[in-house]
This record gives sequence, C-alpha cells and structure tokens, in this order.
Amino acid sequence: MEITFAVLLWGVRIAFLVVLYLFVIRSFGALQRALGSEMAVAARPLGIAFLVVQRSVRGAPRVGDRLPLRAVNAIGRDAGNDLVINDEAASARHALVEFADGEWWVEDAGSTNGTLVNGETVRSRERLQYGDELGIGRVALRLEQ
Amino acid sequence: MNKSQGAAPPASPPRWGLGGIAPRSRFTELSLLVWVGALAVLGFVAVVGAETSSFGSASILVPAIFIVLVLSLHVFLIARRFRGDQVLMPIAAGLTAIGLVLVQRLASDLLLQQLSWTIIAGGAFAATILIPRDLTALARFKWTWAFLGVLLLVAPLFPIIGREINGARIWVKVGPGSIEPWEAVKLLLVIFFAAYLEEYREVLSRSQRRIGPFPIPPIPYLVPIVAMWGIAMLVMIFEKDIGATALFFEAFYAVLGLALLLVGGFVAYQLFGHVQARVDTWLRPFDEDLRFGSGYQLVQGLYALANGGLFGAGLGNGMPDRIPVVWSDFVFDAFAEETGFAGALALLTLYLLFLYRGMVIALRAPTTFLQLLAAGLSFIIALQTLVIVGGNARLIPLTGITLPFVAYGGSSLVTNWMLVALLLRVSEVSNRMRGGP
Repeated sequence: MEITFAVLLWGVRIAFLVVLYLFVIRSFGALQRALGSEMAVAARPLGIAFLVVQRSVRGAPRVGDRLPLRAVNAIGRDAGNDLVINDEAASARHALVEFADGEWWVEDAGSTNGTLVNGETVRSRERLQYGDELGIGRVALRLEQ
Repeated sequence: MNKSQGAAPPASPPRWGLGGIAPRSRFTELSLLVWVGALAVLGFVAVVGAETSSFGSASILVPAIFIVLVLSLHVFLIARRFRGDQVLMPIAAGLTAIGLVLVQRLASDLLLQQLSWTIIAGGAFAATILIPRDLTALARFKWTWAFLGVLLLVAPLFPIIGREINGARIWVKVGPGSIEPWEAVKLLLVIFFAAYLEEYREVLSRSQRRIGPFPIPPIPYLVPIVAMWGIAMLVMIFEKDIGATALFFEAFYAVLGLALLLVGGFVAYQLFGHVQARVDTWLRPFDEDLRFGSGYQLVQGLYALANGGLFGAGLGNGMPDRIPVVWSDFVFDAFAEETGFAGALALLTLYLLFLYRGMVIALRAPTTFLQLLAAGLSFIIALQTLVIVGGNARLIPLTGITLPFVAYGGSSLVTNWMLVALLLRVSEVSNRMRGGP
C-alpha cells in the first residue's frame, strides 16, 4: 500500500513536468500559427484611402492635397496627430478616423467645435462613405479611394 | 475631460460593426486553457499528496476554483466578441497556476490570501478589457499618469501610510494589509513614456548637437527623462529597494540607454551602505562572515538550485523551505529544486513566449503609441523576470523584485493581469484594423 502510493505520487510529479512541457509546446505552436495567419493578413492590401482637402485656411494643408490614411488616424492641431490640421478652430485632438471591418468610421475625440460629416455634427461613431465630406475646424476633407 | 468618454450615446451603431454575428470562438485559447487546468490539478495533487500522504479530495478544491475563474474570463472574452490575442492569457494563467501550486507548497497558510488575490486579478483583467473604451485616450492623460506614478512612488516615504518590511520601505498601508505601489507605478510609467516618446519622437531624434558619436536631443525635452532618473535615484536611497529602481529606470531606458543607471548605481555604491552590502553579498556569499548572515538566503537558494539537478527532487519532495522568505523572493529556486533544470527551463520558456508574443503585438500595432505601449509592457515583464531570476541564480545582485505571476503577492498579480489585458487590447486594435483573426 505504502509503495503504491509513492509510485502514484511519482507518476503525478512526472505527469506535471510532462504537462508543463506539452503546454509550452502547444503555446509555441499556437504562437507560430497566429504569426502565420497575421503575416498572411499583413500581405493583403489594406483598405487604404485618402482625405482630399476641399477647403482650407492658411497654414493648414492646401486645397487639393491628398492626405494618405492609415488604419487609425488621429486628426487635430497637435503635432502628435497622424493628420495635423493647423487651424485654430480645430482642437488639439479633434477626431479619429479608422478602418475597421472593411469600413471607414469617424469619431469625435471631444473637440470644442465638433466634427461634421456632410454638414452634420458627428454624435458618436459614424460610418464614412467614399465621397463624404468631413469638416474639422474650417477645413473640409473628402474621403476618396 | 473628454466628452466622448461619457455614457454611450443612444442608437449608435454596434461599436465594432459586428452586430448580429454569433460570438467569436476562441478555440486556441480554450485548448491551451485545458492544459493550464491539467497543470494546476496535477501540481496540487502532487504537493498536497506529498504533505498528507494521501490523495484527498481537498487538493482539488483550489485548482477547481482557479479553473472556474480562468474559464469565466475566457467566456467573458467570447461574450465581448473580443478579437485580441489568444495565447497570452493562457500563458499568464499557466504561470499563475504554477504560482498557486508553489504557494501551497511553500506557505500553505497564505494560499487562501493568494487565491483571493487571483480572483481580484481576474476582475482587474476583465475591467481593463472594458475600460478605457478607447486605448488612445490613455495617451491624452500622460501627465496625469506621470504625476500619479511619482506620487505612488514616494508614498511609502511618508510617515503614517508608509511601511517598512524586511528593510525595504516600499509598502503602503491600506486597511489591514499593505500594498506595494511600485507595481502600479510600472504600468503608469510605461503608459506615460509611450505617450511622451510618441509625442516628441521627432524632436528627440533630431540631432543638432553631438557628444562624440552620440546625438544629444534638445535639452528641454530631456527634462522629464532626467527628472525620472533623479527620482529613481532618490527612491533607491530612501526606500532601500534597488530592484524597483533598476526596473523603474529600465521602463524607459529600453528606449534610451543605460549609462545613467550605471553612473547612478556606481555613485550609490560608493555612498550608501545598503547598496554596498547587497553587492558584497552577491560577490562573496559563501565567505565566513556572510554565509550565515546576509548571504544565508542566497546560499540556501544556490543549494536548492544544485539539489534540483536535471529533473528535480519532485514536487513536494525537496527542501526549499530552508530558504528564508522563499515564497516571495526565491520561488524560482524553489521551483528549480523540485522540478529541476527541466522545469526551470520550461518556466523560463513561458516568459520567453510571453515576450515574443508581446513584441509581435508591438510590431503589428497601428500607431506609435500602441507600439511603444505594447513593447514597454512586455519588456517590463521580461526584465522583471531577468532581474529576479538573475538574482536568484547569483548572476546579478539580488533584488526584491517579484517573479511575475508566480511569486506570492497580491499587488504584483493584479497589476500583471491588468498588463496582460492591455496587451490583449493592443492586439485587438491591430486585428480590427487589419481584419485579422
């Protein structure tokens, strides 16, 4: 009886180590698979688009400029933004434009003067269609492919 | 404050445009969690079996609670239709399971406490998945985080709330217990520096002046960094905790270089007795005057490592209890004694995988802030592991840093789980943007 318990206990100890290793190996495998699928996704072209400046003020991007969009774009007056709109009517961090689930979305980031889409104030997160006009401060931008 | 942070406005479209689609399965995560569960059960059966010489059903209770906790986190992520990484959470859970097994083994009277902290950590994880709704909002309040961080860092120095335990004044009294504010500080500072470096990256990298081959960034922009260095040195002097200082500083020299720490460390060594004592203990722990004094803990730890050999003494079969305060300072040596080189290697590999995954998340992140955030967060876990395992193995001077997820201690467990949640959120942003898994 004594001996069988000791043997069982050693069995459990060895099983612990074996399971630990299996866990490590499975985790590594899962990591590699995740990396593989992520790289496949990265190779796909992103739904990249442009904001074309329609109306502007001095110092801000010039009319006709095509500002390339990334997946997430912080827009505002601060130099730390992805798209810098140098207009006093724009807030330091004005709005966020992002690409998610195959569509473009705009969200106001707590700006003082609000963000407009086709002349209407953005209340929450709103979908952007190609051709929509985005108003930030006194600058107007159109989403184009 | 930010208006859009308030209550969700009515009639908004589903936030991430997934309305009507069934919850996403997280099969990879679930399959890894099965192994975590097995690990917890086997560990407890082995340890409790060795203690009581029987396989009582009592040994299953704690791992069962743990498994329920981890599975509910998994279900929570599914219910949220969370699209972030599926491997980091199981790795953290596996390490936490090993930690619980070791607390049962080394200080079973603390087990209930550690289990409660684990549940709180799970709650903190879930909360961090939910708030803030927009991760970029973190960057906007960077000076708040820096201020809070510094406040927390100096809090233990104040007479009424501060508390000195084992010669290090790094605890703050809260109710009946005490917490280690440093643990929260490391999160706050990683967030602060990610935001700071993002905002000023261009200014900082522009190099008009040079000293030798090194470009010197404009002085005003270096002020916060040098100020942080000064505070780190002050903390080292007054709180007698070299480990936290090293980590605190490394939280951003990951990006900026290590010369200042070396200089500071050297000066501190020359000036302060407790720093000298630490280094002496590290250099010659076996000397007659130290092996039963300040070097006793380290010497016992080294004996434990040696005793472990290739496959270890077996869980519950070693003598790690000979190391003083083994459950918080020397868990690595205890684990290495009972599972041997094999077990220690597996444990370190788990941390390596954590770092690997964290760095991949950082590389994939869509904005500089998120990249720096993810890199800083995963780097700090790796560094903490390096500092404490190195200290346990006498590679570097011993410090009071905890082994992430594994060592006994609530503050550390809670913040590390929040850290995992933040990493998961960064990976979710990338997946959403790129249409990944």
